[in-house]
Amino acid sequence: MQLIEKLSILADAAKYDASCASSGAPKRSSEGKAGLGSTNGMGICHSYTPDGRCVSLLKVLLTNFCLYDCQYCVNRRSSDVPRARFSPEEVVTLTLDFYKRNCVSGLFLSSGIIRSSDYTMEQLVRVAKLLREEHDFRGYIHLKTIPDADPALIAEAGRYADRLSVNIELPTDASLQTLAPEKQIGSIKQAMQTIYTGEQTVLNEPRAPRFAPAGQSTQMIVGADDTDDSTILHGAEALYGNFKLRRVYYSAFSPIPNSPKSVPLAAPPLMREHRLYQADFLLRSYGFSANELFAGPGDLALDIDPKLAWALEHREVFPLDLNRAEPTLIARIPGIGLRTTQRLVDLRRERKIRFEDLARMRCVLAKAKPFFITSDYHPQQADSTSVLLREQLRDRPQPQQMGLWG
Amino acid sequence: MISLECDNLFSTWREQARWLLSHQVDPSQVSWGEVQAADLFATDEPIPPGMGPFQARIPKALLQLLESAACYQGDQRWSLLYEVLWRVSHGDRTAMLAGDKLGSELQRRIKQVSREAHHLHAFVRFIALPAEAGPELPEYVAWHEPAHDILKSASEHFIGRMGRHRWMIATPLDGVYYDGEQLIHQRQCPEAWQQLAQNVEDPHSAMWLTYYSHIFNPARLNPKVMEGHLPSRFWKNLPEGKLIPGLISEARTGKQKDGQAKLVGAKPGKRILSGQG
Repeated sequence: MQLIEKLSILADAAKYDASCASSGAPKRSSEGKAGLGSTNGMGICHSYTPDGRCVSLLKVLLTNFCLYDCQYCVNRRSSDVPRARFSPEEVVTLTLDFYKRNCVSGLFLSSGIIRSSDYTMEQLVRVAKLLREEHDFRGYIHLKTIPDADPALIAEAGRYADRLSVNIELPTDASLQTLAPEKQIGSIKQAMQTIYTGEQTVLNEPRAPRFAPAGQSTQMIVGADDTDDSTILHGAEALYGNFKLRRVYYSAFSPIPNSPKSVPLAAPPLMREHRLYQADFLLRSYGFSANELFAGPGDLALDIDPKLAWALEHREVFPLDLNRAEPTLIARIPGIGLRTTQRLVDLRRERKIRFEDLARMRCVLAKAKPFFITSDYHPQQADSTSVLLREQLRDRPQPQQMGLWG
Repeated sequence: MISLECDNLFSTWREQARWLLSHQVDPSQVSWGEVQAADLFATDEPIPPGMGPFQARIPKALLQLLESAACYQGDQRWSLLYEVLWRVSHGDRTAMLAGDKLGSELQRRIKQVSREAHHLHAFVRFIALPAEAGPELPEYVAWHEPAHDILKSASEHFIGRMGRHRWMIATPLDGVYYDGEQLIHQRQCPEAWQQLAQNVEDPHSAMWLTYYSHIFNPARLNPKVMEGHLPSRFWKNLPEGKLIPGLISEARTGKQKDGQAKLVGAKPGKRILSGQG
């Protein structure tokens, strides 16, 4: 099979993995050196496909042959898809070619399980080793980690890769048993623990060989089963806490060709995915806990963002005086992000904050307005009920053309 | 009214601004123009030579902000900076902060400039010249059209990235060439560089184009988000730019039902028996 045909099959097979991040790597440079590539901590999105997703890395599978039969996966063994397999050298050639063109910042390599977990993991590591040692490649490498692989192989992967990831796949153990019976939550978490231990071992040891300096991430498929958002985000919170994951990626289940009956054949729930990312950001960067976002079981609202939802439930906190309030509380005002918060704090050191200052900052004023006070402004809406406010502030769906007999 | 011209060089503007400030020349009394425009306004005030008595104290961070905002190509490119400098040196630090009218504009420009530098890092596409081109020519060339004056500073990024390779980026205004050891910046891009970068042939682009169209998931079609991140002004210089309209319309006419690329769906499939691999 020609390389280009393999590429078409193995890129098509890799598109269901959401992550394409190239951030978090330490500073490396090839200035004046043999070889190629640099990293500086910031990721670069070299292109965007018409689905709005960033192309930062060459994201391919080494092979889409797979022994497993995970129901949500296009590459499951019972799926009638064309199959292909790269040699490690072919992946290296493609990575270097795309890198020199400045089309990508590195490689994200995953694979179907062939022969055994150890064999598959060895093949992935071999690609990374070739790139690093034979070609002095200093760009970004993300390796998918095969859960049951020997910890020694995971340790080796960590020496070559910037990021490792083990997919948690589904939000609950029960769903995993139903839809991916050959995978075990125990071995997935064991692999996460191995990576976490590896990271901890080299922490504060400047001379130790490096180990996955951009940390580990995972992916959870959303909408293939009926788990609610509360369970999903409580699960994510536990992963952040237990394994210090850098990111949990949520992947709206996207219908696959020859879909089995066990998973939905519906458009991917993109708005739900978007709300989960917003809520996840509140967990990681705004100091929210999952318990604050959910009073009990249930889903995030689709028509308002999770911060607005929280504010509407906690009106006793608002309106906040922007000239006095703690920065962490200001960041809880709907429509005001971390950067605007910092700008408000910088400005109020110099003078009183006025309403028109907000209009000139990049915040969503309509959303923020009911929740703050400035030296020249007190919200009329402060006394409106939350029900009324929600009605005023919710996102309205795009008008749809009615059916003829609608 | 004092009319000045700084040849769009921050270092020149900085000397002029320092001198104006030392004489306490109010921002309303000075303007910077293009070379031709400057001649239209004869200076109607005697300009004292040498430095004046006023000793301005400005925070260190301000100079960096001004240098960054100076890369912005737009109205009042230089006089806006002097106004900020004037206000801050007279004790009003809000002029450099978002929220203040002038400070917001300054910050907006800085944001645009850093965004444009990021666009350079992301959207430059190098094409390899034929190996027989020889050591006098770069190995890789690119044509790029930045909206702001960022090429010189932002292209340093590629020194670390490309190692000892020789590369060149030509733009309608300026150009850079890295000869394997040092970065050469030409404020007026030589025509030969422009020709080289615009006329190079790329016989091996099929791999990248195949990758781009197959990593796209038509079931998630969302062109609005794409255009927010990848403004359409860049499409014409990106090899994948020509694929975008076709991929969008293909998704809209049926391919959206699942994620698979059309060409992959057309190939014969292979189920795997349990235990085989």
